[in-house]
Amino acid sequence: MAYLYDLPNSTAGIDAIAIQTFDSFPWMTPLILLFVYFTVFLGGITRQKIRTGTADYPTWSVIASLSILVIALLFSVSSGFIRLDWLIIVVSLNILSAVWLFLDKRSSEI
Amino acid sequence: MASTQITFTTSLIMIVLFVIAIIGFSIGFADDNDAIMKISDDPNMSYLSTNTGDSLSTFKDDSVGTYESILSSTIEPGSGAAQSTAPFAVTPFNVIGVAKNIIFLPYYSIFGSSEGFGIFFTTFGAFLAFIFGLLLYKTLRGNP
Repeated sequence: MAYLYDLPNSTAGIDAIAIQTFDSFPWMTPLILLFVYFTVFLGGITRQKIRTGTADYPTWSVIASLSILVIALLFSVSSGFIRLDWLIIVVSLNILSAVWLFLDKRSSEI
Repeated sequence: MASTQITFTTSLIMIVLFVIAIIGFSIGFADDNDAIMKISDDPNMSYLSTNTGDSLSTFKDDSVGTYESILSSTIEPGSGAAQSTAPFAVTPFNVIGVAKNIIFLPYYSIFGSSEGFGIFFTTFGAFLAFIFGLLLYKTLRGNP
């Protein structure tokens, strides 16, 4: 049976499959991180709006940024998952979210 | 106005501490796990980390200097306020000294003697001094 793509070598373990997939499609990492970010961010503000009527955008942005930072750091342990510039962008996103959070609120609310 | 200034300074301090914490955690994670992609390989991140640390040190020196200058300032007689801040001059520093001694026992037990975490307590102490100074000014002279 002919495939449109090269089948990954599944005898070397599941991480080899992942690395080969990421190698074939380099945008996989940022898309996964974007997916997690917006799932947490939009899911959080939607649920909070339903429960309380208002949403705390900067706080959910920080939580979503920290979520993708954890994933990005785990990706950074092995080669082939994430590039250095994407890691830097994730850390920068964390910093920007924190700036948004801390300048958005009064200190008594933090 | 003093409360606005305290709020704004708190926000800035929190941002700086967050930046140091995030970058420090990322660098530490990479070192601990022998990561292939190290955030310390990026010169901008190391530069940012060093600069924010320097800014914190400057803030510490400036806030303590401001606090001492407020303590040594005087007010003209007849204004209905205390002439100097001498009644406040002794207490805060002694209280801070006692608090630091108490804090350092659990601090060393939990974090060890590494200097990496020390910047948080140093900044917190400087921030307390800054707030003390502004509140003393507000108490004696009204809003700055």
